[in-house]
Amino acid sequence: MAAPFPLANSNRRQFLASAGGGFGMLALNSLLSESRASEAATSQQPHFTPRVKRVIWLFMHGGPSHVDLFEHKPELIKLGGQPIPDSFGEVMTRRKVAQNPLLAPIKPLRQHGECGHYASDLLPETAQLADELCMLHSVCGDSVNHPQSVYQMNTGSILMGRPSVGSWVAYGLGSETRDLPAFVVLPDPGGGVKGGPPAWGSGFLPATYQGITMRPGDSPLLNLRPPREITDLQQRGTLDLVQQFNRAHLTARDGDDELAARIRAYELAFRMQSTAPELVNLNEETEETQRLYGLDESHTKSFGQRCLLARRMIERGVRFVQVYSGDTNGWDAHSDVLQNHTQHCRATDKPVAGLLRDLKRRGLWDETLVIWGGEFGRMPMSEQGKGRDHNPWGYTVWLAGGGVKAGLRYGATDAVGLRAEEKPLPIRDLHATILHLLGLKFDELTYYHNGLEERLTGPAEANVVHEVLA
Amino acid sequence: MRWIFPIFALALLVVPRASYSQEEIADTKRTVVPDERPIVELPITKDDRDHWSFRPIVRPPLPEVHSHQPTHSAIDHFILSRLERKQLTFAAEPDRTTLLRRVTFDLTGLPPTLAERAEFLAEQAPDAYERLVDRLLASPAHGEHAGQAWLDLARFAETDGFEHDHVRPNAWKYRDWVIATLNRDLPYDRFLQLQLAGDELLPGDEQAKIATGFCLAGPDMPDVNDQLERRHNLLNEMAGTVGAVVLGLQVGCAQCHDHKYDPISQADFFRLRACFEPAITLKKDKSVEWMQEAGKVEPARLWIRGDHRRPGAELFPGMPRVANLQDESFVSVLSSTAKTHKQPAKSTFYRAGAAMWFTRPDNPLTSRVLVNRFWQQHFGRGLSATPSDFGTLGDSPSHPELIDYLSTEFSARDWSMKDLRRQLVTSAVYRQRSRRAAETDADWESRLQLDPQNVLFSRYPRRRLNGEAIRDSLLSAAGLLDRTAGGPGVLPPLPPELTSTLLKNQWNTSKREADHYRRSVYIFARRNLRYPLFEAFDRPDANASCPSRIRSTTAPQALLMLNSAQVLQFAQHVAGRVDPRASEQLVLHALGRAASKTELQTLETFLAEQSAAITAAERAENTLALPIPHHKNQDHARSAALVQAALALLNSSEMIYLD
Repeated sequence: MAAPFPLANSNRRQFLASAGGGFGMLALNSLLSESRASEAATSQQPHFTPRVKRVIWLFMHGGPSHVDLFEHKPELIKLGGQPIPDSFGEVMTRRKVAQNPLLAPIKPLRQHGECGHYASDLLPETAQLADELCMLHSVCGDSVNHPQSVYQMNTGSILMGRPSVGSWVAYGLGSETRDLPAFVVLPDPGGGVKGGPPAWGSGFLPATYQGITMRPGDSPLLNLRPPREITDLQQRGTLDLVQQFNRAHLTARDGDDELAARIRAYELAFRMQSTAPELVNLNEETEETQRLYGLDESHTKSFGQRCLLARRMIERGVRFVQVYSGDTNGWDAHSDVLQNHTQHCRATDKPVAGLLRDLKRRGLWDETLVIWGGEFGRMPMSEQGKGRDHNPWGYTVWLAGGGVKAGLRYGATDAVGLRAEEKPLPIRDLHATILHLLGLKFDELTYYHNGLEERLTGPAEANVVHEVLA
Repeated sequence: MRWIFPIFALALLVVPRASYSQEEIADTKRTVVPDERPIVELPITKDDRDHWSFRPIVRPPLPEVHSHQPTHSAIDHFILSRLERKQLTFAAEPDRTTLLRRVTFDLTGLPPTLAERAEFLAEQAPDAYERLVDRLLASPAHGEHAGQAWLDLARFAETDGFEHDHVRPNAWKYRDWVIATLNRDLPYDRFLQLQLAGDELLPGDEQAKIATGFCLAGPDMPDVNDQLERRHNLLNEMAGTVGAVVLGLQVGCAQCHDHKYDPISQADFFRLRACFEPAITLKKDKSVEWMQEAGKVEPARLWIRGDHRRPGAELFPGMPRVANLQDESFVSVLSSTAKTHKQPAKSTFYRAGAAMWFTRPDNPLTSRVLVNRFWQQHFGRGLSATPSDFGTLGDSPSHPELIDYLSTEFSARDWSMKDLRRQLVTSAVYRQRSRRAAETDADWESRLQLDPQNVLFSRYPRRRLNGEAIRDSLLSAAGLLDRTAGGPGVLPPLPPELTSTLLKNQWNTSKREADHYRRSVYIFARRNLRYPLFEAFDRPDANASCPSRIRSTTAPQALLMLNSAQVLQFAQHVAGRVDPRASEQLVLHALGRAASKTELQTLETFLAEQSAAITAAERAENTLALPIPHHKNQDHARSAALVQAALALLNSSEMIYLD
């Protein structure tokens, strides 16, 4: 597929060649030998033995409600309809909801499995897998706004334009295969996320590390197929002519690395034309598998296709797949949580559970980290009666798969789910932990940009949450 | 490459002020009581100022050279003297077609037309090249091309970014101001002064006001709840950009805390930021366009850990101490500014003072930074490879005396940017070959051996065109380029797969078809969606100032060039311009040169094979991609094959690389 892995990057080389004198030359040598090695594979070594090789991130865009889905708050039930007690202090909100009455959970939450995780009745399938999930109940961010929080969850910063987690991983680990990109994004066909494509951008990292968006169906990737008027035979002929010109051009130019890379890029592009359609061809899956992901039912089909596609991608060596649920508004239940979450839970519950079960039975579980969460949670106070406003101050994200403690509950929000109270888990720590699971040290995965050794977790101190590691 | 950075990582140890993370998490409420403890910062030492870029600029003597090679300018002495130490001299000049193409792209971003080529090849006068350069610098296309490099630095886009990515309906006026100003060669000092303080220096002047769009060209989130946070982010971004672009100092790095290795303190950062604060008045949900002071001035502060919720002590505007070689107070800067410019009643004149300070001839950074940027634009790499970082972490220049020479020349020649470019592109350094003359070329081998990375400029560094120039050259080859200049950004059609990732109505295709073929610099610059061809070819995202573009080579680029409906359409137009019997014309139109015998043979074989295959497949005429225009009496199989050949040439490396 889109193979946005680096075929050549003269700038990086140029920089290293001159950065810091002799030190730079040292770097150059190591890089050149590395690039020779990468003729065979684009994969790079992690810093230490990784616990997982790949990530599937199920991104619930809009902000699912932690107090309705995964956090049981008896106080919230008790105080429903009353204003939040003064003891909780002032709170910053996106809309003026701070004085609104508290809203009790819209559906009962019950304990499941041996571990006793709570889950809403809206998520019956996920609930059955409770013992496989590692609940992070104290994740917290810094902004009450969608785009800033989408950016922060994806890039570590509330400002737009920084590299996303997936692009850092692509930069750090490369791709496991020459025919696939390291980082693929499967957007919700209903509409774009708030904040747009910079959410999976590569920021100041080379463009080759950015998330490549793909879709199920006939045209999974932009420009994957030639226009109708050009047959495959014509295209092969044209490509051969391109390569003939380009090889002659290269020979007259001392085998210039960049020009040689360009010739390889064209061959790769040609191969992708057959590998990409094969990848997205879900008919190759058995009917039973298709049903497992809910492809047979209209309300689960769309998200189910993306989940199944995610599995097919990681099977083929993609490092990082992000699957979005929720169109431009998505889980953003300002006016009616029950209505909104019923719809979105119904669309995602079965596919999510299907994905987890499928990973298990195919032996992919131990090498794959699954992340479920939105850009924030929702307020315990009501909005417009039955809705809830954004809450970045404390909410739930769950992890599953290799390397994490199944059945664990980490941290907690306060009695009504307003703020992270026990073991607050800032997003940079979540990021540091994800990198750690992949065998990358967050403080050593750096990129020199505009005077700073930049890293995903930013300048502030970050910590790997060792307690959640299996 | 990450393995090699632990040394840097160690150097990044910071001076801790307070343990922060827990505090920040608990504190979701605003703390408003400022911490008035006096600001502590390390004094600037002699050692700090001994860094190459902070030393006073002294015009160096011309180095002696021994070879009898002709030199065209003083620049050549600096480069040649270093080459001679390795027993090298300049490489010979390339053929005239190559030189013409190189300098035309380099000064205008466009390929030479066939008429221009014929004219230049016929020209016998010894100063033909110099006159060509003058003509190119005088062309309106020059500003359109040079403008883009400045717009990269200015992180220019025509929308706010973030969720709503609202259109800034007047942003294009700043783009047009940059282009027009570069075309009339406004001196660089004035160019900067107006962008920082046009409203203060020329009150009431519309164009001067528009120039200040530079300060505000970055991303902004007008609908954010906390407008103080918005203001804080905006000002930090602005001060950081000004420091990086004008002074080549990454002052923004200091916004959270001091760095041990860096003579720019956190207070230096906030003193610089303080110059801009009075000009920022925000209204919720409203984009902000130009700088304007409203007469209300609140004291500026240091913000602890760069956190907008943690005000620190008050501070007065000031310039980065390490570069303030005379240790002049800002009050004194302001009073001397007021002597040369009339201070408007409602203005602090802070920005005017800063602008005048930046552009003093004895400022050690401003001119050094600019000449290095231009060197980078014309030679692919700066004399210092970190053009926006002349600080202690930046790259030491390969030819520091040349930077100083060019700087002194630059300010002595009234900061003329065109004059500086003329010096660069007429030099012998610039007029070298980029490749060997023959298969066995001993001279070339020694260049590769003694200067493997071309750090000494022993040959012209071949480089790829940027995405904008690639598109413009495709349009030129197709004969479609519309040269209408200026005005609001135009929106060529986009594939639906892309528009679906946007909010509704964020890309309404321009109605006038010719607008789809305008020069790239006029394409609407939406922050949340770069035009696909530009994005594929590494256009920066306009969220931060970009001093030098990354150059990647990827399969998606190949897919776009080979498969997009758009490039096929360009190929149809290229084929439509040539006589189907004369395939050499394809090479001429696409690559701007005569075809070799081998190439002609290759093309003829290709055309014969492909048209035979099309005929054999009994393809109906209306299923083929035919030349535009296509004459009915021409063999449609050969015509379709001609389009394929044109597409292949548009995809050739030669098309997008400059020799």
